[in-house]
Amino acid sequence: MKTITFDQIKFSTIALEMDEIIPDTVYDWTEDDFAKYQVPIGNSRFPITDFFDITVEGEAESAAEVKMIFKGDLNRTKYIGSKMSAGEIYCYGNVDLHVGAEMSGGYIYVEGNAAAHAGREMSGGKLEITGNTKEFTGASYIGEWRGMSGGEIIVHGNAGKQCGECLVGGKIRVKGDCDILAGIHMTKGLIEIDGNVNRWPGGQMKNGNIVVHGHLGRLLEGFVLQGVVVDPVVDGEQFEGKYIHYVGDIGLNGKGSLYLGAETNREKLGEYGEHDDEYTSIREYRNLE
Amino acid sequence: MTYEPPITDYDHIVENCTCAFCGCNCDDLDYLVKDGHVVAVRHACRLGASKIMEDMDQRLLVPMIRDEDGELKEVDWDTALDTAAEYIANSIRPVFYGWSETSTECMKEGVELGEYIGAVLDNQATICHGPSLQAVQNAGYPIQTLGEVQNRADMCVYSGSNAMNSHPRHMARYAVFCRGYFRQRGRFDRTVVTMDPKFSDTAKMSDKWIGFEQNGDYGFYNAIRAVLKGKELYQDVISGIPKEDIYELAEEMKNAEFGVLFFGLGLTHTLGKQRNIDIAIKMVQDLNKFSKWGLTPMRGHFNVNGFNIFMAFHTGFAFGVDFCRGYARYMMGETNTIDLLVRKEPDCFMVIAADPGAHFPNGANQHLADIPVIQIDIHWGPSTELADVVLPGSFIAVECGGTSYRMDGVPIWMKKAIDKPETCRDDEWIVRELKERVMKLREEPNVLDAYEVNPNIL
Amino acid sequence: MEYILKNGIVYDPTNKVAGEKKDVMFKDAKIVEDVSSDAKVIDVTDKIVMPAGVDPHAHVAGPKLVVGRLYRPEDSRRGVTAKTKYIRGEAGFSIPSCPTTGYRYSRLGYGTVVEAAMPPLEAKHTHEEISITPNIDIPALPLFGNNWFCMEYAKENNLEDMAAYVSAMLKITKGYGIKIVNPCGSEAWGWGMNVHGVNDKAPYFDVTSKELIIALAKVNEMLGLPHSIHIHPNDLGHPGNVPTTLETLDAVKNIKKSSKATIRDQVVHCTHLQFHSYTGNSWKDAASGAEEVAKYVNSHDHMTCDVGQVTLDETTTMTADAPMEYDLFKISGLKWANKDIECETAAGIIPCIYSGSAPVSTLQWAIGLELFLHIDNPWQVCLTTDHPNAGPFIRYPRIMSWLMSSKRRMEMIDNGEVHKWAHKRTTLATLDREYDFNDIAIISRAAPAKIHGFADRGALTPGYRADIAVYDINPNEIDPSVQYEEIEKGFSNALYTIKDGQFVVKDKEVVMNKESQNIWVNVKGYEREEEKVINDIMPFFTQYYSVKWENYPVHDHYVSNPIVVDVER
Repeated sequence: MKTITFDQIKFSTIALEMDEIIPDTVYDWTEDDFAKYQVPIGNSRFPITDFFDITVEGEAESAAEVKMIFKGDLNRTKYIGSKMSAGEIYCYGNVDLHVGAEMSGGYIYVEGNAAAHAGREMSGGKLEITGNTKEFTGASYIGEWRGMSGGEIIVHGNAGKQCGECLVGGKIRVKGDCDILAGIHMTKGLIEIDGNVNRWPGGQMKNGNIVVHGHLGRLLEGFVLQGVVVDPVVDGEQFEGKYIHYVGDIGLNGKGSLYLGAETNREKLGEYGEHDDEYTSIREYRNLE
Repeated sequence: MTYEPPITDYDHIVENCTCAFCGCNCDDLDYLVKDGHVVAVRHACRLGASKIMEDMDQRLLVPMIRDEDGELKEVDWDTALDTAAEYIANSIRPVFYGWSETSTECMKEGVELGEYIGAVLDNQATICHGPSLQAVQNAGYPIQTLGEVQNRADMCVYSGSNAMNSHPRHMARYAVFCRGYFRQRGRFDRTVVTMDPKFSDTAKMSDKWIGFEQNGDYGFYNAIRAVLKGKELYQDVISGIPKEDIYELAEEMKNAEFGVLFFGLGLTHTLGKQRNIDIAIKMVQDLNKFSKWGLTPMRGHFNVNGFNIFMAFHTGFAFGVDFCRGYARYMMGETNTIDLLVRKEPDCFMVIAADPGAHFPNGANQHLADIPVIQIDIHWGPSTELADVVLPGSFIAVECGGTSYRMDGVPIWMKKAIDKPETCRDDEWIVRELKERVMKLREEPNVLDAYEVNPNIL
Repeated sequence: MEYILKNGIVYDPTNKVAGEKKDVMFKDAKIVEDVSSDAKVIDVTDKIVMPAGVDPHAHVAGPKLVVGRLYRPEDSRRGVTAKTKYIRGEAGFSIPSCPTTGYRYSRLGYGTVVEAAMPPLEAKHTHEEISITPNIDIPALPLFGNNWFCMEYAKENNLEDMAAYVSAMLKITKGYGIKIVNPCGSEAWGWGMNVHGVNDKAPYFDVTSKELIIALAKVNEMLGLPHSIHIHPNDLGHPGNVPTTLETLDAVKNIKKSSKATIRDQVVHCTHLQFHSYTGNSWKDAASGAEEVAKYVNSHDHMTCDVGQVTLDETTTMTADAPMEYDLFKISGLKWANKDIECETAAGIIPCIYSGSAPVSTLQWAIGLELFLHIDNPWQVCLTTDHPNAGPFIRYPRIMSWLMSSKRRMEMIDNGEVHKWAHKRTTLATLDREYDFNDIAIISRAAPAKIHGFADRGALTPGYRADIAVYDINPNEIDPSVQYEEIEKGFSNALYTIKDGQFVVKDKEVVMNKESQNIWVNVKGYEREEEKVINDIMPFFTQYYSVKWENYPVHDHYVSNPIVVDVER
């Protein structure tokens, strides 16, 4: 196991681009190699040692045996762990754009918040963020209709707009709240949101699953109520409790599923007549045991 | 409006000039010229005419540099260009912003300079129709030229756009009132619908006003799409519109022979942003199953579309193109002017034919005050107050010829009608001079020795 | 500057040189018979020397290309490379940016590319793009097949005025020939409709596509243009379109070729024939009609074709056949773009994924190859992918390797690289014909140059432009049937590409940005008729076009360095 520690000594307002410093490329680097390396900043390159104190401990035969630790204010350190295929990266501090973008394996842990495009188009591995994320968590590149295709993103805080845009696989778990249009254009995979969602999850989704445990503010007309399900199995995962099940987005003949926690969203059922604790008066009553 | 007697005192008329105001690019203007100045403009709308006639109002005439005391001092062209070139050559994260009110000939020099030094090139799309472009990139782009609307359209929908005020001749010349080959009675042959929370001037002259609630755009279009698929709406009121009205509207749109959706910033800058356009485009695509539908973004500046087209064929990306690593890169939130400024990244800012001082959010302008700003423009404006070097350009389509692209992508040659003030220079010349001077000052960064296919490119 | 390319193995089909070891000499921009002793000697011993390639039909510049680039940043991203000492950065895979297009054609050893569809209203745009595409010459074909004036003239059978109109439009748009795309169909698309077959009328215009094609073909020969009409028939990509294709071609078979057009033999060039050779009623029972179509080609010498070979890549389809693109959208649901141009044409664009595992893609792939192999005379068929419709042009070398190796084709069918429809619904598996290097030289340079009537390129004739390609392949040692990978590699990156006597590719590296030239046809002797026709159409133009007439023509500003081909009356 090789541990590479990056201790920040200087903050640059112009972002550092770390796409060349990933386990796949640096697993056989020594401290001297880092001392020689120049990191891209804007249209120039500067010695990375101007910005980080770098210590290397241990040996590694491959990327999988590398553990990288970043400490400091990483608000201007872009592309951490982008395109990595193995190894581990631990960031202590808020990170900048594209953390874990296009990663295919390995593990990234961020203690703090992440900027936009976290886990963009990732195809494998795991990205864990203890704080909040901004827009386009686990989204696709602009124009691309095949976004994140595998792996797992866990956001312990809140997620920004359009989380899981064009998702075609994998899982995104948001433990806090989620902003508008989660899972827009998604075709596969699972987005699980523990907190509340204010508007429009699953806009124009073709397929895939969204589970919202918290309260949903406004639902789109493109979703058709199926009924209430108890203890559903969604994308291979067992959920406990009662959920209101919708299918959509009907505007493009979508067959995606949206599950809303029945207890927190019971006013949604009111529109279908009187309701009581057992939901017996739902017109599209199905699957209720 | 008060009566103004026609101008009779002029030397000669220059016919078929092109208006350099909005994205309509009306090319039927006649300039009445006296003593080398345009004294009246025929056929133009008030916006266009006033811009063309008041060309000398607060005009920048001489190059200026801000001195140690913070005052702008007049200098000669060489000093000004050398100072500007030095700022650019010494910068690490330069941003060249603007371009929408200049010609593609000038952009050509700009993209060469930007690619040489590794700058970000961006235009006003980043603060206006950028979401439209992002939506186009996600959903598609069913458009048509404006003549097609004139000749065929029997239904025009304006969404989030107040064309009567922002593009005054759009309805008259291209879309609504004009007679077309298949629409010989003009306005009487067309149904006009305005979708806008505000009862705008456009809404006043429309056959139908859909006043949906603010930020309700996405939900509203989603409901129309669901209706087009035959679904019954479960809510009685969607985004402030009764469901019966939505059924009626959907039916009307399906039965149109040729419909067009014009959309403006009302759609791009409410909640949902690019996704509002995204779903509107999808709706237009759905409608093509029933009849013929198209759309056109109501572009603001006369050549804002030109820059997007120009960058697309030069670099493959439409706006916000970042050359800093030696190759073109485009990523919203990363390579756009506002994001960069708010993140306080740029260390040199060149603004050409634009006014960030007036248009940018406060946070962005705060950073502009801290870094060298080079302004190429014809009028004194808020940006001049931020500028460290001021280079007076010339007025495209009046004092200088150039190419622009209309909102529907039709290229227009904007011809020269009068001479520019002696002390001013053409934008194209200024940017070329800057390019040549920067090339002398700094070796080209990020150049590969040999062609290399790099799988790691971002 | 004088040069000798020494000891190369030369393939120059026009001059009937097929694999002879000989020297090729050029001085300044022209090929010469002899050079002085000062000439610089470039040793190309045992390497293939050919005239630089000529692409007879590709979409490389123009408004619909830019819509593609604008709305597919994910495609642009796929081909991004950094700038070098010599060249600008590249971007794009199926729809590369303009500089990229030039560099990549240079790497393939190409010198001339015909832009196949230029809407007259946006001709300026096309020329702006041409002017910044380096290293290749680009003639552009303006679209006439849905032009309102042409439809009116065809209805009235007013060929004199039509000829004057076409002649004027070639000057106005700086165009090279007559392109017809889905005649009457793109006009019908103005109302969301299409025409089916050649006897269907455009709505409101009371003229059939057959009448329009015949009229334009006659006009083409009246004017004596160097190229024949260049047609994309109706019903592209629809199963069961073989009869439409054959009817289209048959309609013009009795039209006599102009005596002024001395280089070409044909009166009609049918483009991307692969898309027009399907039998069946729907994709469920579609099969190859290549044999029937090829039989027609083999028995008729009034026509030539290019193939539009599917390369099994993810690409972008774009054509002026807009209704067809909407049909594709209904199948794939991917982002659909459309661009209707007033009174002239329309265009549709959609990303398209051709995959060997998909039955329809495989069928199209096989039909293309069948056409190449069934058509006996290589002078009647050209190598194209209808870039970017069936695949990007950078795949030409791969197609060459397929054509040269029956073993490779069988391997693809047998090992499941392509769907089983390849042998179930086509005759491809039964064909063992293999192209040799001379055939490759014909389909990729000699035939296209002849078909387009170029009198200065496509051959190594003294006096011609010094457009030469040298490939690092030794034809005496290589067995293309087995070493198909080396064939693809060799043709993918020319050792030298010489354009107008200048080395644009040296040692497999693009080393210069040479300004490209537009080629346009200037018909002389119709000035009076042109003036009359323009006067006639002026009231209509003023009323129904959205630009002023003064703004319609392509000003000289946009074609700073043209090659003008004069045609005398």
